[in-house]
Amino acid sequence: MAKENAPAVEKHRKHGAWYYIQPVLAVMVTVIMAFPLYWMIATSFKSAEEVQLVIPTMFPHSFHPENYSFVLQRANFLHYYFNTIVMTIMILVSQVVTGVLAAYGFARGNFKGRNILFYVVLGALMIPVQVTFIPLYIMCSNWGLNDTFLGLVLPEAVSAYYIFMLRNTFLSVDESYIDAGRLDGLGRIGLITRVLVPMCKSTIYTVTLVTFTNGWNAYFWPKIIAQNETRRVLTVGLAQLKNTFAGQAVSNYHEIMAGAVLAIIPVVVLFFIFQKYMMTGYSKSAMK
Amino acid sequence: MKKKTARISATLLAGTMICSLLAGCSGSTGGSTASSEAASSEAASSAASEEAPAAGEYEVTAPITIKWWHAMEDQYSGLVDEVVKGFNESQDLITVEAEYMGAYKDVNEALVAANAAGSGLPAVVVANTDYVAAYGESGLYEDLTPYIAATGYDVDDFADGLLVSAQYDGKQVALPFLHSTQVIYYNKTMADANNITVPTVITDMDAFLDEASKATGGVALSIPGWDQWYFETLYLNEGVKIITDDNTCDLDSDAALAVTQKLQDWCKSGKAMWCFGTDASANMRQSFYDGKTFAVMHTSSLYNNYVDKCDFEVGMAWYPASTTGSKNSEVGGCVVGIPSKNDQQTKNAAWAFLQYLAGKDVNMKWAEGTGYLPTRKSVLETDEGKAFLEEKPAFQCIFDNLDLVNPRIQNAAWSELATTWKNYMNEIMGEGADAVQSSKDMVVEINEILEDSAS
Amino acid sequence: MQTTKKQGAAAEKKPLLTNRQKSHLGDFACVLPALALLAVFTYYPICKLFQISLTDWNLLNDTWNFVGLKNWDWLFNGSGAKYLWNSLKVTFIYSMGELLVTIVGGMLFALLFNRMTRSFSFMRAIVFMPKYVAMSSAAVIFLWILNTDYGVLNYLLQFLNIGPVDWLNQKSTALPSVLMLTGWRVIGYGMMIYLSAMQGISKDYYEAAALDGASPVQSFFRITLPLLSPTTLFLLITTFLSSMKVFQSVDILTSGGPSRSTEVFVYLIYRYAMVDFRMDRAATAAVMFFLILLVVTVLTMKISNRTVTYDS
Repeated sequence: MAKENAPAVEKHRKHGAWYYIQPVLAVMVTVIMAFPLYWMIATSFKSAEEVQLVIPTMFPHSFHPENYSFVLQRANFLHYYFNTIVMTIMILVSQVVTGVLAAYGFARGNFKGRNILFYVVLGALMIPVQVTFIPLYIMCSNWGLNDTFLGLVLPEAVSAYYIFMLRNTFLSVDESYIDAGRLDGLGRIGLITRVLVPMCKSTIYTVTLVTFTNGWNAYFWPKIIAQNETRRVLTVGLAQLKNTFAGQAVSNYHEIMAGAVLAIIPVVVLFFIFQKYMMTGYSKSAMK
Repeated sequence: MKKKTARISATLLAGTMICSLLAGCSGSTGGSTASSEAASSEAASSAASEEAPAAGEYEVTAPITIKWWHAMEDQYSGLVDEVVKGFNESQDLITVEAEYMGAYKDVNEALVAANAAGSGLPAVVVANTDYVAAYGESGLYEDLTPYIAATGYDVDDFADGLLVSAQYDGKQVALPFLHSTQVIYYNKTMADANNITVPTVITDMDAFLDEASKATGGVALSIPGWDQWYFETLYLNEGVKIITDDNTCDLDSDAALAVTQKLQDWCKSGKAMWCFGTDASANMRQSFYDGKTFAVMHTSSLYNNYVDKCDFEVGMAWYPASTTGSKNSEVGGCVVGIPSKNDQQTKNAAWAFLQYLAGKDVNMKWAEGTGYLPTRKSVLETDEGKAFLEEKPAFQCIFDNLDLVNPRIQNAAWSELATTWKNYMNEIMGEGADAVQSSKDMVVEINEILEDSAS
Repeated sequence: MQTTKKQGAAAEKKPLLTNRQKSHLGDFACVLPALALLAVFTYYPICKLFQISLTDWNLLNDTWNFVGLKNWDWLFNGSGAKYLWNSLKVTFIYSMGELLVTIVGGMLFALLFNRMTRSFSFMRAIVFMPKYVAMSSAAVIFLWILNTDYGVLNYLLQFLNIGPVDWLNQKSTALPSVLMLTGWRVIGYGMMIYLSAMQGISKDYYEAAALDGASPVQSFFRITLPLLSPTTLFLLITTFLSSMKVFQSVDILTSGGPSRSTEVFVYLIYRYAMVDFRMDRAATAAVMFFLILLVVTVLTMKISNRTVTYDS
């Protein structure tokens, strides 16, 4: 990007001590921040005995990929994967469609009570599912949604956060682009898909990634609505790995860590694909 | 109960307009994907119940698939499969599907939520012994008394304490299933080498702790603080009632304070360790496996696991008798019962399965494959019992004392009380809070809880 | 529908007005799906909660009675009061901790990682990534790192002569441990937000300041910090609101213990509902929680509308 040429400006001045300290410090901090993830991966390849050593080994003595096959097959993670993927995609589609439409309505639309209704949306931001889960559960049960994808998805079908972030970004688009679009004969959907969405690409990527992550990582509601094996998701399955000893805590951390790795792989991959959009994405929505 | 107010069903939601509107909507969009085996089996069972009026009140007349929720994790899955398969093949009408729901706590959560919703209930479900009161009182569990009478099922063969622990208010709301009790596991190899014996009376405990801590160079005895079940026996045996007849807590009585102070002295000296918090159970066991702890108080159901994990001989001892000479213990593990909101046809099938599950043959399979107790009196005196003891000689102490296994305290506020008690005990034992003052504070708090719950 | 009045511009004719109405209707249709779903799955349950808070509903029982304000009396004057204040205190401390890490830590990290090279970009990605690691994974990782006997943290600390710390089982260290996990996940987020805002500050300001002889530290306090105030406010509000809803990390790491020292508000509600099955009490606490969030949100909205100066 344009900023890559910036060092030229700095070079004509003599570098201060900070110029040399900064990278050293930055590397140290990065190592500390990366350590938990490294430790998870390292542990996931250790044997049960090695995990229980009083002096932990920084690198596995011998590799035990069978921890992964145990988790995938015996602990049924393969099936949880399927459930998690379907659930996440359904949530994603629903949140994006309702979110983009609503963001347009609140940012660019014009109707009575718009601001009040926007507060209604913002209000939903403060109501976590941990507060409303009992009425929700009874409602969903009465509709026969226990252990179904619909039950997993419906309470998460709209994200107030998504609407909020996107509306702010849509507001930042200059009115002239919209007018130009209108002159070109674009309708509402046209304006959204041809003008607003392309112009706010980075925010959309960012927020959609957040949505995906939230869906993928959801724990509380899936735990309640999908209690049996058929629709159990990864996060809940992972937490259950912990209590696999007569209902008592176990120290099978080599297996738990393998499960933890499996549970985060897709999100981490997506993160690295989309992370270049993050910087600009956050700034646009955060500044308003 | 005193007030005359309108009683409204918890399912009144179903009637609201929004509900029916959306139900129609969701039905049309999700109907194709959402239909599961469960739905079709429920449909089948409800249809069956309509056409089967009174042909043998508790008899199963049409094919039916029922669900059994249990808490037996992976290590027991082979045994669970075997038991379920055995039942399914023993007759033609009923097909049982076993579902592992997680720990007792998870089963409990799922069951109560499903019961409140009135849907998705299993036909048969296990429950930890301290939930029996709550399930009995609320009517969540079906009263099995008429079933027992109608089918002539012999319940007198169950050990008395176990049978009572599956009762509420004189009603048999469940059957004894997998039971355990509090025991002390000790390192028998180390005990023999150092000539240490686990005391049979509490007054010998100090001497024992001295010797055993010398042998390990550290901890003599680990006491679980994460579940009051492990230490409440020590109080009960000293005559502490915990909840007195006038619904107050007596954990600040002299007898109770004496126990608390004794425990605290042991913990302070470092010879005993109070285990609580995250991973407490795992850490306690590991320390025992590694030979760093001489003895642990734990549940008898884990006997096989202890034997498997330890490369020394594992001994099992009864809790020492109190200063008053009492050496009762309390029942642990789970009972098995039928949620009452199921339709009659499902309940009949469930009852058939229940009899099989609680039966002697299945019980002996569990007892042999795990550390759970034989629940039948007829086992104890027969050759089966002898064969069992030959295989697991450590169980002698349990066979000797089986009639001392008592049911749990039954009180609607028990869960709250237990949480408070555990919290204070952890502060006293783990963080050195003053035993007397903390106990007094605790009793004030517990009395408020009891009072709130009673009003 | 009412006729919309429009002032200024040329006088509008009748067909135009109906078009305008149509357009309003169309705009409204855009927000309708979202609003409908929110109404059913968020607002209806909240109303229901208000109702439950006036009953004596124990989830185990099928029937319940209206008991008026009894539960509210219990919450403020009865045995519930002690736990209510405790959980409010714990939640507040937790929130302050998370705010501190996000804002101060995020700012420091932003300054540290503010160099536009490939290697720094890579390091930034690493630092930011924990935010996307599922909480259930992150929590079990920290459970393992913080393990008293076999955890790697205690192993490393022993080189500094710090004895094995029972991180999760002592009142003094349990909440800091939860915050450690939180901090690991959010600090990169704070950094990213600040960095992206810093990109928006024109270089001219700094060059002008440098010409006036201002040191880098001075220009940070005089230029960067003031110009970042809208970003800080944004972080302050969103972080505060989300931090009050903390649950999963507490659930997996400490289950609210030891001795309720990590019993945050949501955990309190969860415990009343799913451990004690006292839906009446859980609902009362939940309504209380909702009201607190409401007040906080309205206040912060008011403040932000008044004080935020947009970067031109």
